[in-house]
Amino acid sequence: MRTVLIVDDHASFRAIARAALAERFTVVGEAVDGVEAVARATELRPDVVLVDVGLPGLDGFGVAAALATLDDPPQVVLTSSRDRRDLEPLIRDSPALGFVAKERLSATALGELLA
Amino acid sequence: MSIAARSAYGLSRHARPVAIGVAVCAAAAAIAGAVALTRGEARGQTTVLAVTTIVAGCTFVAGGIVAWLRRPANLTGPLMMVAGFLLFGTSMAQAQQSLPFTVGLVIGAVPAAVVAQLVLAFPDGRLHSRWERLVVGAAYVDVVVLQVAMLMFMGFEHINGCPCPDNLLLIRDDARIHSALMGSQRVLTVVVTAALAVLLARRWRAASAPLRRAIAPVLWTTAVTIVLLVAAELTTDAVPRGLAAASRIALATVPIAYLLGLFTARIARVSVSDLVVELGRLPGPGQLRIALARALRDPSLELAYWIPDLETYVGLDGQPVDVGAAPGRAVTVVEHGGRRVAALIHDPALGENPELLGAVGSAAGLALENERLQAELRAQLEELRDSRARIVEAGDIARRRLERNLHDGAQQRLVALSVALGLAERKLTTDAQQAAAMLQAARGELTVALEELREIARGLHPAILSRGLAVALEGVAERSPVPVQLHVDGGARPPPSVEAAAYYVVSEALTNVARYAHASAATVRVARDAGRLRVEVSDDGLGGATITKGSGLQGLRDRVEAIGGHLEVQSQHGRGTRVIAVLPLQHRETTAETELGDANRD
Repeated sequence: MRTVLIVDDHASFRAIARAALAERFTVVGEAVDGVEAVARATELRPDVVLVDVGLPGLDGFGVAAALATLDDPPQVVLTSSRDRRDLEPLIRDSPALGFVAKERLSATALGELLA
Repeated sequence: MSIAARSAYGLSRHARPVAIGVAVCAAAAAIAGAVALTRGEARGQTTVLAVTTIVAGCTFVAGGIVAWLRRPANLTGPLMMVAGFLLFGTSMAQAQQSLPFTVGLVIGAVPAAVVAQLVLAFPDGRLHSRWERLVVGAAYVDVVVLQVAMLMFMGFEHINGCPCPDNLLLIRDDARIHSALMGSQRVLTVVVTAALAVLLARRWRAASAPLRRAIAPVLWTTAVTIVLLVAAELTTDAVPRGLAAASRIALATVPIAYLLGLFTARIARVSVSDLVVELGRLPGPGQLRIALARALRDPSLELAYWIPDLETYVGLDGQPVDVGAAPGRAVTVVEHGGRRVAALIHDPALGENPELLGAVGSAAGLALENERLQAELRAQLEELRDSRARIVEAGDIARRRLERNLHDGAQQRLVALSVALGLAERKLTTDAQQAAAMLQAARGELTVALEELREIARGLHPAILSRGLAVALEGVAERSPVPVQLHVDGGARPPPSVEAAAYYVVSEALTNVARYAHASAATVRVARDAGRLRVEVSDDGLGGATITKGSGLQGLRDRVEAIGGHLEVQSQHGRGTRVIAVLPLQHRETTAETELGDANRD
């Protein structure tokens, strides 16, 4: 199974995401802000990083940009509870693989995006 | 009429009898001098000198009486009287008896020191700096201490114009000590005179135009007099006695110069009548200041208008003006019809001329009141603009906070709920038991989300207000961590905007009580009073609350004033805080307000 790092500042979302992804992924860690996300990703070398866009400090787009500079970078998937249309230009310009709306998050949805 | 002008007339009941007494004494002294003169009792002094000394004494006493009657608080008058009597006294040096002879010798030079003090203390009768006090002190040391010391060693056998009566102060006739003391007295005289000249020159350079006008005659007459006195003092007996007589004549003119300087009001009366004519032509904005500056002959004059609502002075542009007297400035308050209208910020020299200030103030009272109304309008406009900007800003801040609260709270919970429901749906076929547990957890999450939404909705508008202000305030009081006593008058319901304002006043004030006041109890009173709703929140806490920019209280005041009300905060340190809002009940509703109000009551 592929490994995932979950990055979100809301504990409730990290918990539900962990449960939702457990079917098809191995969750190897969590991070609560952008800086911690980059550190943990460098350390744990997950296959996938699921990162919330609206993080305090370094935001999700910043995390995606930072991780893209690593050798053998992880696949980054952005997520948010905001309307995708509001974020579209930023998502397009980001090196991230794609975007999944928070309320639609499931192991299947993430798997389809990565396929 | 100005405040300064009123206080200057606070003459004591005894002033007139005292003045008459002084005048009688002076007349007696002058007559005695004249009689002595005609009987040839003056010895070794020219008749001219004796006569001019008596004349100078008379003008000093007379000038002193006039100055004192007009300006009782000013030391100039009494000092002039003292100088006059001292001048009479100097004639005693011509007496044939020992005692008056000795007294005459002792006080012979004292008038010069008094004149030095007078000129430095002009026009307000006070010495203004350490240097001035030092110079005057040195002058008195010169004419009293050194004079007495010198007389103790001065025999008169060898002096011109003698035989003389006994010098009662004589200890030992010692020409060496005597001439050493006389030498040091002369040196000190020169030093003091030079220092005096420097101080006066500096005063002249620093003086404003009105002050210069007041001190010019005084400076000139005093300068001439002192030069002549010092010259007479320093020259030997060989020099003609005419110098001494000339100094006495110059001295006699000094009091006249003082009176001129003190009472330029008489001269300025013409300018006040000009002012009245000018004001009749209704000058445009800003012209009033120019007209008043011309009438007072003070180009630096500034006007500040009193705004009672704001309890502050503002300029013609409506901006606040600080009238707390700056150094080198004086303030005179002008009233019109018994109410404070404006403050004249002017040269302090004008304060010595309260008649002129009073006359100009009352002549311009109506014109000042007109300009005050303009200034008030501008100040209110300015305040309105500020409060409108603050209301918009407060709205933006509130919306931003609301977005954050929605995003971080209910929205996150609903997102989690959506994911959990998706998960439960998939588990339904494979693991029904786990699916049921997940659905139960989801219901709990939903309950919390609903509560958060309710909290936010209440922050947007207290829906409970639709049940009436009293019920809504009960809710606020119950939520308050500090015990609240609530008194709400019944009666017809106020307009929704008034109810909302009252609700927010109580809600915000109680929040502040809980946060800052360290109070043990609070009281809320809502009462109707003459077409107005009076809302009062008081506590027994620390006090010291103020309406600062950007504070919750400022936001409350804006809200209250937006519907034509008034908010006041009484909060002395250690005496609790009282927030009082007075809201007009007949506030006209906008259509939107009425519709919303009706909707609220459904």
